[in-house]
Amino acid sequence: MDNILSVLVFFPAIAGLLGFVVDKKSARAYGITVAAIEFMLSLWLWFSFDSSNAGMQFVELIPMIPDFGVSYYLGVDGISLFIIIMATLMTLIGMMSMSVTENIKNMIITLLFLEMTMVGVFVALDAIIFYLFWELSLVPMLYIIGAWGGPLRVYASIKFFLYTFMGSLIMLVGMLFVAYVYHNLTGVWSFAITDWYALVLPVNYQLWLFAAFFFGFAIKVPMFPFHTWLPYAHGQAPTIGSVILAAVLLKMGTYGFVRFSLPMFPDASVMMIVPIAAISIIMIIYTAMVAYAQKDMKQVIAYSSVSHMGIIMLGIFAMNAEGISGSVFQMLSHGIVSGALFMLVGVIYDRRHTKMMDEFGGLASVMPKYAVIFGIMLMAAVGLPLTIGFVGEFLVLLGFYQVSPILTVLAGTSIIIGAVYMLTLYKKSFFGPVTNEVNKTLKDLDAKETWSLIPLVAIVIWLGVYPKPVLEPIDNSVKAMLTFMDEKAVTLEAKNMIKVAKSTKEVK
Amino acid sequence: MIGLTHYLVVSALIFSIGLIGVLRRRNLLMLFFATEVMLNAVNIAFAAISHFYNDLTGQMFAFFIIAIAASEVAVGLGILIVLYKRYGSLDLDELESMKG
Amino acid sequence: METLVYIALFAPFVSSMFAALFGMSPRKTFVGIVASLLLLISFAASVMLMMHIYATGTGIHVRMMDWISAGDLSIPFGFLVDQVSVTMMVVVTLVSTVVHVYSIGYMDHDKSFNRFFSYLSAFVFSMMILVMSDNFAGLFIGWEGVGVCSWLLIGFWYHKADVTREENPSISPSWAANEAFIMNRIADLGMLVGLFIVYWNVGSLQYDAVFSALPHLSGTVLNAAALALFIGAMGKSAQFPLHTWLTDAMEGPTPVSALIHAATMVTAGVFLVIRANPLFSVTPEVSYFIAALGTFVAFFAASMALVNRDLKRIIAFSTLSQLGYMFAAAGLGAYWIALFHLAAHAFFKALLFLGAGNVMHAMNDELDIFKMGGLKKTMKWTYLYMGVASLALAGIPFFAGFFSKDAIIETAYNEGTLVLWAILVVTAGMTAFYSFRQVFLTFEGDERYKAFGIHPHEMYKFVLVAMSPLGILAVIAGFGKGSFEHFVTKLLPEYHMSEHTHHIAWLLGLIVLAFAVSGIVLAYKKYAKKLVRDEKVENSFIYKLLANQYYIPKLYEEFISKPYAMISEHMWKDVDMKIVDATVDGIAKFLYKSGDGARKMQSGNLSNYLNWMAVGAVLLLVVAAFSAMLG
Repeated sequence: MDNILSVLVFFPAIAGLLGFVVDKKSARAYGITVAAIEFMLSLWLWFSFDSSNAGMQFVELIPMIPDFGVSYYLGVDGISLFIIIMATLMTLIGMMSMSVTENIKNMIITLLFLEMTMVGVFVALDAIIFYLFWELSLVPMLYIIGAWGGPLRVYASIKFFLYTFMGSLIMLVGMLFVAYVYHNLTGVWSFAITDWYALVLPVNYQLWLFAAFFFGFAIKVPMFPFHTWLPYAHGQAPTIGSVILAAVLLKMGTYGFVRFSLPMFPDASVMMIVPIAAISIIMIIYTAMVAYAQKDMKQVIAYSSVSHMGIIMLGIFAMNAEGISGSVFQMLSHGIVSGALFMLVGVIYDRRHTKMMDEFGGLASVMPKYAVIFGIMLMAAVGLPLTIGFVGEFLVLLGFYQVSPILTVLAGTSIIIGAVYMLTLYKKSFFGPVTNEVNKTLKDLDAKETWSLIPLVAIVIWLGVYPKPVLEPIDNSVKAMLTFMDEKAVTLEAKNMIKVAKSTKEVK
Repeated sequence: MIGLTHYLVVSALIFSIGLIGVLRRRNLLMLFFATEVMLNAVNIAFAAISHFYNDLTGQMFAFFIIAIAASEVAVGLGILIVLYKRYGSLDLDELESMKG
Repeated sequence: METLVYIALFAPFVSSMFAALFGMSPRKTFVGIVASLLLLISFAASVMLMMHIYATGTGIHVRMMDWISAGDLSIPFGFLVDQVSVTMMVVVTLVSTVVHVYSIGYMDHDKSFNRFFSYLSAFVFSMMILVMSDNFAGLFIGWEGVGVCSWLLIGFWYHKADVTREENPSISPSWAANEAFIMNRIADLGMLVGLFIVYWNVGSLQYDAVFSALPHLSGTVLNAAALALFIGAMGKSAQFPLHTWLTDAMEGPTPVSALIHAATMVTAGVFLVIRANPLFSVTPEVSYFIAALGTFVAFFAASMALVNRDLKRIIAFSTLSQLGYMFAAAGLGAYWIALFHLAAHAFFKALLFLGAGNVMHAMNDELDIFKMGGLKKTMKWTYLYMGVASLALAGIPFFAGFFSKDAIIETAYNEGTLVLWAILVVTAGMTAFYSFRQVFLTFEGDERYKAFGIHPHEMYKFVLVAMSPLGILAVIAGFGKGSFEHFVTKLLPEYHMSEHTHHIAWLLGLIVLAFAVSGIVLAYKKYAKKLVRDEKVENSFIYKLLANQYYIPKLYEEFISKPYAMISEHMWKDVDMKIVDATVDGIAKFLYKSGDGARKMQSGNLSNYLNWMAVGAVLLLVVAAFSAMLG
């Protein structure tokens, strides 16, 4: 199948359109079926993926506006492949575990559209197509938060939309400028990212463009101090919204840094290592502290997301294969783990309609299965070896150590303060006697919830014990990217900073 | 000798009179007259420039403007009559239904 | 042989998974039996491996599969069974097997019986990974694994509520569990940094690669790596200032205290120093720091044990103190002696804890030794076991502790570090005193428990039988010193006393013995007949200082936990909400307000509009004029 990527992008959307004629009662089953097929397709993509090839695969290129070099241009490499699989997986699992009952049909259709935009962002190799999907992804999420959210849903959804939208507009200006520069230098218009890679820009251009792209990505990540939309969005969103938001949408930002900022502006990226590292460390420590102060379980996890994204950002700017591969792996890890944690909070919210920790206590005696799965996810979140959370965090810190030992130690405090807020959350809600009468009769996980969580538990352990099948393709692509950045870098500092792995293979 | 500058100064003066009329008058009918004055001020400028530069384009534009002004009056006066019939007044301060 | 390695490693894992299958069902005795059998298999395999290595003198190195490879980093799951790790394996599996059998009796009435075995076996599995791994990252897996199991097991009775520190110094099992985990994490950061230093300077985390690369590294790097790794060891082995979690960890079931917090996990730090001895041998400053800190902790912990009333806490302090001895030996370069003391200590300390468990079982979980006394009538066997273990701990000749602890003290003399030597000698006396204070207060004297309506009874027969291997080893382990030295020094550096030390060894031994015996005699005089409480002593400053653990837990709470919580609260409410978010909302509000203000322009009055239009036109003209002038 040559057009697998197009199929992967548009299948959910077309199925979503057809979803309008599906009967309301069977909408859920329909959605799960579509998401399952989509997930199978993405798995198939993985099996036909050549992991030894570090370049773009399954490329599709159809010129759309030839005069301006805009084309329908898709492709995947090791970096994007697994994020796509994670996106389809989390959509499937999110749908399976979904407890929304009102307007279920609208929800299913919205989710399928959202899936299209998510997959689209990660396969797009043309800046305009990328931007299109990037912005489109806001709409379904706006709707999900605004229609199914909590009491502050309108405020939260509008804040989410406008904030991220503003950032991406600045990014759009940056994109247009890159295309303009490309036109000036080569005489043809092109928005293809692979063409842009070949562009060697002067350092001052790089810095301005880096800043423009930075705003788009940083707000999405979200980096401190642009993070405040996130707690509101998570706090108000329904469970499914939080799951997708944390698991996939945030990764768009960090993915953007890897896909655009690093290879296009290597010198600027190297110059920005220290500022970005400083922001990342603030993110890690400051939001971990804020997370500790929260009274609402979901807010703890929302802030912890910001903290973990700080680790990912740090790894990206380690400028060596260990750090960047670790970062990309950590994106997957954070997607799975935070998605699962949000689902778990959703479980208790469905039962008690509150997420306040002081309402609970002693849940481990009432809901043992729930406590076990929560415990596993918690351990993955604090980066326990042999869970998925360790691999990425370890590699990121290891990679960044080469850049700056002191900053690494500061960032490494995340393993301490991460444990502090997570264990406090666990202790407050699960340990101690059951103090609240209402909690004594709570039901443990039902079949639906168990079966949507078990696969995530399996992945958390599998990729913690044997990350190689995933890490290897990522690593190959990252090494190729570093080699390429090193060749392209203009300044000597950048050339020194960018470490090409000794074990890099030839790029085919 | 009367040069281009003189024409233009006259044109500017008439235009200013028209502009002040547009800004200060409250009656819609008077506004119309003031607009006509402005249009004709421009016409003077066009005709004068056309003459001094030996370029007929200016005169052509003047004719255009006359035609447009005529049609404007035709349509505009129609609307004015309808307005007057409806509200019994053409005072702008009383026609504020579009307030934001 | 490879099969044996895998059997030794994975039998506990199978055991854990098997018990986990029944984790949520009611108590099933066979779960405990199967788990114990699997542990026995693991023990048997370890012993066979030991015999093999003893016979051949070479280690076994297996590589199971790749774990993490990224960039130039490649970490496999590889296992190395050599003299050092096989010693640890035998010790760990032996104590674990005994503790498993013991737990069948001890956890008899607990409704979470099956869950307990699952955690306990999982701990053994993690510990085996820790000792068997052939690289630092694998060690770290085990390192964190034992940490989590320790968290699970300390907090095993998670349903207990928090109480005040005055009522129970550990607040609650779940609190103690979290404290242990977080404190260990602080040290783990040091350990991670150690790994990073090693990786970026050597390019590998495999022991053999790292150790062979040491000569090429600069002194700064070596010192930094050694120090960072030792910080890691400080957490797991509860060295000052990260020691408070160990006594609080006594909230866990007693078999856990015996296995994890006495015999195995807490010795992981010592193991790390022994394992990485090539590194520590070339960093004398760091090694001396280790020895000094170890000596300090030996004394410091023993002093707190002198006045404590809690049966388990006394033993915990004594563990802390003995860990200090081990670090002293390792820091002074006598690695094999440290390992020997580690093994001997594992036997008698586990025995001591299990004995304490019997007492708790008999006393309805009462731990205050002031409420016991005269238990020897009903608990003959337990008395015997605890007596033997205490004799070994006190270093009375021909018991295990005599050989190992004396050697450490002798080493301190031999190295010329007389201050350390003196402190260690005094500590030996204190050790004898507090051990026997506890034994006499528990088993001798007046039967104070009667006032509380407790009817003590001896532990089940099979449990007492299961404890016997430890009892025997506590007596005879010392006689294996010669062959042990011969065995492990194939791998570890040999350590010989100088001629001079050798000559006066008898004198040194006698001094230590004198201190130990006088400690016992003092304890006998004060406590064997009946408990006489002296108000004046108990109200003295020193007594209070010691009884409150030098107020360190309180200090940590006042100066670390509380400020952290307070700052976090401020960060959220004042910084995040009132500054960062308020700025964002402020910008949005400004835009909204300015729009709202500009709305007035839309007055609906045509005349007004025309005025604005004129203003706009004039402005444009001005701009055009300016740009024409500037351009």
